[in-house]
Amino acid sequence: MKVRAIALNTFSGLVRNKIIILFCAGCICILLLMLASLLTLRNLRGTQNAEMMQMAVLPLIASMMTFVSGFGSLLAAWSAADAVASEMRSGTVLAVLARPVRRWEFLLGKFLGVQLMMFVFVLLMLGLNYLLAWIGGATIETTPWVLIVYPLVRYMIYSALGILLVTVMHPIVAFCIVLVVMIAAGLVAPGNPETFMPQWLRTGLFYVLPSSNLLSETRFLTITRATLRAALWTDHATALAYGLDYALVCFLLAAWIFRSRSLSRD
Amino acid sequence: MAAVIEFQHVTKIYHRVFSEEKLAALSDVSFETTAGQVCAFLGPNGAGKTTSINMLMGFFFPTSGQIRVFERPPGDLLAKKQIGFLPENFAFHKFLTAPKLLRFHLQLAGRNPNNAGSRIADLLAKVKLNGYENLKIGRYSRGMVQRIGIAQALLCDPQLIVLDEPTSGLDPAGRREVLQLLAQLKAEGKTIFLSSHILPEVEQIADHVIIINRGKMVRSGRLQDLLATGAQVEIVADRVPHELAQSALRGAIVEPTPQGVRVVVDTARKRETVEALWAAGSDVIAMTPLRSTLEELFLKEVDQPGGAQ
Repeated sequence: MKVRAIALNTFSGLVRNKIIILFCAGCICILLLMLASLLTLRNLRGTQNAEMMQMAVLPLIASMMTFVSGFGSLLAAWSAADAVASEMRSGTVLAVLARPVRRWEFLLGKFLGVQLMMFVFVLLMLGLNYLLAWIGGATIETTPWVLIVYPLVRYMIYSALGILLVTVMHPIVAFCIVLVVMIAAGLVAPGNPETFMPQWLRTGLFYVLPSSNLLSETRFLTITRATLRAALWTDHATALAYGLDYALVCFLLAAWIFRSRSLSRD
Repeated sequence: MAAVIEFQHVTKIYHRVFSEEKLAALSDVSFETTAGQVCAFLGPNGAGKTTSINMLMGFFFPTSGQIRVFERPPGDLLAKKQIGFLPENFAFHKFLTAPKLLRFHLQLAGRNPNNAGSRIADLLAKVKLNGYENLKIGRYSRGMVQRIGIAQALLCDPQLIVLDEPTSGLDPAGRREVLQLLAQLKAEGKTIFLSSHILPEVEQIADHVIIINRGKMVRSGRLQDLLATGAQVEIVADRVPHELAQSALRGAIVEPTPQGVRVVVDTARKRETVEALWAAGSDVIAMTPLRSTLEELFLKEVDQPGGAQ
């Protein structure tokens, strides 16, 4: 009941958080700009060379979805970092932990509150997926669970990482590090072309950083290929277990650091 | 009687990150508070009061020494179940209303908030916040925030109430109400550990006083003993002839007050002085042994040059 109360309270705080609202408003503005060009292309499709236009529309939709999905990762990291840091900054953590609440229960409540918000985000993203597919003239012919579970697990990793970092540093620094981790994880992903990095560094980073490509729903589904690529259930189980394990390790490390941290108003 | 709070040779040293610099916030502080006692924890700003309270609540960890609360280490869940805590400059989740905040704290305490409607209404009435049930805490004044802080501290009927500056931000009427509330809790047998700068108020309710300065304990004991009757008495008479002030009252402090003339003399001269006043036709209104105030004691202890070093 304690963890649930903290989680719901965190969720209520996050949906009222001005930085997050601003963050989302910026994302919606960019999305609307992209949507405007998409609709323009779609209208041209009927009059011009239809096949050429289709080729332009579908990659644009794919890039919109990548943008929204990437934005979700940043949102997860920032929300998690800010959910803990704002309690420390304002001193509300003192009132909460003066109650018979363990420190890890507090962190777990915060983590679950963020996951609740990310679940709402993923549902909105799912709706957007279907909307864009419809605009692009494609049909998503698959079960939606991949589009819900994969991003959720990916966001779990980034929010756990955000919580881990914010237990020892300022939330803005923590957020910047998560951002760097995201970019680096993308660079060292197996499918990516060679980068400036030496092979040993690339391999090392690939093992250490969260493999977000593995947890990307685009492994199985893209808007240009809107049917679920055949995958064994063991593939799904392995990928999801990897993500959950990574998030769990980050969370346990955060709880271990937080248990001996002095709780003063920052 | 078992000690509710026990500090044994507690030292807290802050280390600055990436530097050799150290700051001793508390040095070898030992004291205990027994059940049913109102213990005033006093000291100037930066003396180490909030650090001590944070260690007592398990928010900070002592560098050395031992702290026990209800015979358990600070932060222990069973100990925390019996504590009501009001931190200094209390902050709340601003998007909540007072009843929602109290329900949230009930859930944190592991209690069912659904059956607590009347308890919450009583508490809000007690701290004079009834009528503001729909107002979000973000719109509260400083005094109202302090009141809701007191309400949450009393929410689960705790045995030990730890209050860090409970009257800060309150107007005189609010301070008096809080004082009455504390007196009521004292009468109910609760143990109260409070830190405050408003010493006349503390003096009214405290049984035990601990004074710390620059991290060291400079005085501790029963308030009655610390403010022990001095060697002087105060006599208030309705009028004192000028000649008498020059002769029989020579050496005494004589000053007019709205109640009459105040005469302060050594206890050894009280009988002689009263007889002289009667003989001169004055009416003695009151005679009280003069005792120092907590404020005088505090200033004496804190102002001692190097006394607390």
